Amino acid sequence: MKKKEGASLPDRPIETPSLVQLLVVFLKIGFFSFGGGTRPMMHRETVENHPWVSEKDFLAGFAIAQVMPGANPVNLALYLGLRIRGAMGAAIAVFAMVGPAFLIIMAMGFAYRELTGFPATHFVLAGVAGAGVGATLATGAKVTLGLDRHWMTALIAITVFVAVGIFRISMVPVVIIAIPASLMVAWMTDKEARRDR
Amino acid sequence: MTDNRLVGLILVFAPLSMLSFGGGQAVVADMQYQVVTVWGWLTGPQFNDLFAISRAAPGPASLIAALIGYQIAGVIGSIVACIAIFLPSSIILYFTANWWQNHPDSRLKRSFERALGPVAVGLLFAGALAIIQSMPMNPITWLNLALCTGVLYFTKFSPYKLVGIVAASFLVLSLSGLGSI
Repeated sequence: MKKKEGASLPDRPIETPSLVQLLVVFLKIGFFSFGGGTRPMMHRETVENHPWVSEKDFLAGFAIAQVMPGANPVNLALYLGLRIRGAMGAAIAVFAMVGPAFLIIMAMGFAYRELTGFPATHFVLAGVAGAGVGATLATGAKVTLGLDRHWMTALIAITVFVAVGIFRISMVPVVIIAIPASLMVAWMTDKEARRDR
Repeated sequence: MTDNRLVGLILVFAPLSMLSFGGGQAVVADMQYQVVTVWGWLTGPQFNDLFAISRAAPGPASLIAALIGYQIAGVIGSIVACIAIFLPSSIILYFTANWWQNHPDSRLKRSFERALGPVAVGLLFAGALAIIQSMPMNPITWLNLALCTGVLYFTKFSPYKLVGIVAASFLVLSLSGLGSI
């Protein structure tokens, strides 16, 4: 199938599993990695337990999964599937990651329809929504602390928040303008390029 | 009728998928605006209910798309919404993964990695504001929000356990008549 393109060879030879093996392992990850343990479990299954991906490739995949749009665990699964078995591998890995979670959330959706007549349902969900917003705020605060201390970086973050959150402008044009603007700021403030000059 | 809704689901979710830098949490504000205000498929409180379910469920936050699809167009709607939210971003990753990995560390790559942060931060806080604005605001819900934010920011407490504790507490409050919407 696909030739490995990694420059450095890992400690042990990389093996190529069958598509069925790949499906079984990613279904296992999809079913049992709930609660934020996705990344360690994927590492265990594709680097440690099975020699399918090199450590270096796994780390590169993790970086790409974060940078590109889409849900991180799904992106990482796609990347690993692609490395291991090409396009079919990518499709199988994504399907196996999303499928189990989809079935569970649909079961919850059915339950919600049945229980929607009870006022308690909406009160409990209001509480859970508060916890969900709390998670978003905590993540947002942590990411904010990691940002560059530059006024233009702050300006971009605040402008995006005001445009989408307060003026309710569609995210599509806002992000299409904000990403290149932010890229320009990041390019101009790149430390290594400055050092070279 | 249903066909129009299926097309609508694709029109709403596919562009968000391509721009979901920062994952599913980053697109919540726009999803709510599109689904509640622009298309009128759900009310604000209904959207908040689905947001809550998606955060209590395992898996990526973007699976809220499947719940929305199910509410407005049944099981077919949930499948269409799910494909619309995962396929476009997957196609982008599929075509960029090799380039990104085989390209040596460059100024462009470094800059791109740093460029996403401020945009993601703006979108995350916008999403939080959108949900807060259609939440029933009383001392209980405010206290809950403050406590949850504090716990998740300052400790490594599992968000899923926290959701379980909050749900149980709110159920007890509701059944004992102390809290309602």
